[in-house]
Formats: sequence, structure tokens, C-alpha cells
Amino acid sequence: MITEQAKAQASTLPKAQRVSRLLVPSWLVWGGLIGLAQIFAIATVQPLGVSTAYPQLVGWLVDKIVPGFAESQPYLQKIGAKIGWEVMLITGMVLGAFLSSLLPGGRSTPACDIPNLFRSSWARGLAAFVGGFLILFGARLAGGCTSGHMLSGIAQLALSGFLFGAAAFATGVLTATLLLRRTNNAS
Amino acid sequence: METTHILGLLTGILFGFALHRAGFSRCGIVIRGLAFRDFTMLKVMLTAITVGLLGAATLATFAPDYAHLKVKPLYVWGVLVGGLIFGVGMAVAGFCPGTALVGLGSGTRDGLLAVLGGLTGAFAFILAYPWLEPVLIKPLDLGKLTLHEVLGLPYLLTAVVVAAALVGVLVWLNRLEAKASQKQLRG
Repeated sequence: MITEQAKAQASTLPKAQRVSRLLVPSWLVWGGLIGLAQIFAIATVQPLGVSTAYPQLVGWLVDKIVPGFAESQPYLQKIGAKIGWEVMLITGMVLGAFLSSLLPGGRSTPACDIPNLFRSSWARGLAAFVGGFLILFGARLAGGCTSGHMLSGIAQLALSGFLFGAAAFATGVLTATLLLRRTNNAS
Repeated sequence: METTHILGLLTGILFGFALHRAGFSRCGIVIRGLAFRDFTMLKVMLTAITVGLLGAATLATFAPDYAHLKVKPLYVWGVLVGGLIFGVGMAVAGFCPGTALVGLGSGTRDGLLAVLGGLTGAFAFILAYPWLEPVLIKPLDLGKLTLHEVLGLPYLLTAVVVAAALVGVLVWLNRLEAKASQKQLRG
């Protein structure tokens, strides 16, 4: 991994150089920028929240094919089957990631960077789809995801955010640990 | 496009760019992160939460007109069960709803499949909502509770204390990781 290489390089550098490299580590820069995006979102419209946009987009699309669908579904009446701030946010996220992938260091993205975790590319694709299904179903049931409940919830000191974070990490840690037992590499 | 749309798009570009730069287009950062084999995910999240927390509390205290907060209600069963499902999905996919979009934007097949799975999961939730609402969402809804309100303390003061604790965890994780990598280099 790139970061591990960088770390190994950093530790072989003379001390003064090492300190200057480690002064602003990448997680601090990008985590800080996400924090600034959050402040911008709160100052302008509302706190960051990704998962609402998924049912809004689905509802909007299905309503185009089956007119009256959005009106017939209580959940869509509640959140609105519309292209609003939320759907524009996720559109921007795809765009932002695309822009970043064009810049130096943005390429070289393997499908999954854990070797031996899945027996085939087909199995990995299925895991991505099924996992995607579960995160959205779970997030909508809970009323938010990593961004809405954890980044924004905890930033507002909302008790719902703390409970969601604890529940998600409980099963997340268990599942990830069991999954990685299947691989023999320790990294 | 209305102003709200443009603001959503801009926020999304910033958020997606930062997530991609931090490495979230690859599934390993989340799966290893949940198994505590790599602290990058936790460090990015904790940094983003800390910056957002201090920013939100400062805005709410000194410029309340610019603090568009949105605390999510604590309906215990839905948040708990949703969080448990979410954790499993996050470990299986290696994505959350936001990072799946980042995977899609950087052109990975798995990102696309996770987003499609997410849209399917959101659709399933729309259809299941009338059955789920009376069982998991309506009962035991404690409302929009926050930590500072429960404690009867000012938001900013509580935010500073929680932020200090989060920074403490960050420093500890960083030391833990430095020790582990030194061991690896020696061994």
C-alpha cells in the first residue's frame, strides 16, 4: 500500500526530514477537509448526510416510469421523491472522486486491495452489491449513515448518532474480523 | 438550478474529493479499519468529526443564523437494528453509502455495484416502510435528544470537552500505529 511505503520511507529518512513529513499526515489533511465541508454544509443548508439521497433518487426514477408511485408510498411522501440538495450532494461526490482520480496519485485503484479475501472477482462483485443493499436498508431504517449519523450526528452531540455508531461498529468489527480470518496475510 | 442545488453540488465535490484522496475508493481501508488492522479510516473519521463538532458548536453559539443544525431523533429500536444491519453491510461491501459513490466516481466496478445494491436496498426500504414503521420506528421514540441537553450544559462547552477526548483517542491511535510499524520494520 502507498501509505505503508511512505511510512517505511519516512522512517529511513534523517530525523529532521522525518518530522517535517509527519507534521501533516494525509489523514489529517483529508479528514480536516471533510470537517470543513461539514462546516460549509451546516453554514449554508444542512449537515452532511448521504443516504437520504438514495431513496429520493429511486423514488424519482420509479415515479417517471410508474406515474403515481411516489404519491402511493408513505416513505416517499415523508422524504420527497425529488432532486434536491441531497441528490446534488451525491452527484457532486461522484464528480469530486472522478476529478481526484484524474490528478496525480489518483489512479492505480484495484477493485479490492485485500488479496485472497474473495475467491473470484464474481464473488467480490456480489459482496459489493449485497453489502450495498444492507448499508442502505440499515441506514434508512436508522435514519442516517456514516455521514448523517456519525459525522453529523456526533458533531451535533446527538444521542442517536452515538447509538448508531456503537451498533454499526459492533457488527462491523465482528464481520470484518471474521472475513479477514479467511485471508492468510496479516497486513 | 436553484442556489440550494449548487450548494449541494459544491459540498459534494469537496466531500467526494477528500474521501477519494484519503483512499476510500478502495474497499480495504474500511474492512481493515473495522478489523483494527489499519487505523486510517478511524483517524480520518475522528478528525472530520472533531473539526465539524467544533465548527458546528462555534456557529451555533456565535452565529446561530448560520447554524443549520438537524438533530436526528432517537427512536431506539430502529436506530439500533438499522445500525446492526449497517455494520454487517459495511464490512461485506467495504463501503458506506458515501464511499460507494467515491468508488463509482473513480471508475471501479465494485463502486458501481455497491451503489446499485444501495439503490435496490433503498427501494426495498421504501416498500417495507409501512410494515417497519409501527414496529421499529414509532415505539420508543425519545425525540431529538442531544448530550448537552441531557447534561444541562452549554453546547460549546460540551463540544470542547468531547473534542478534547476525540483528539486524545487520535493521539493514542497514532502512537499505537507508530509502535506497530516500528516492530514490523525491526522484525
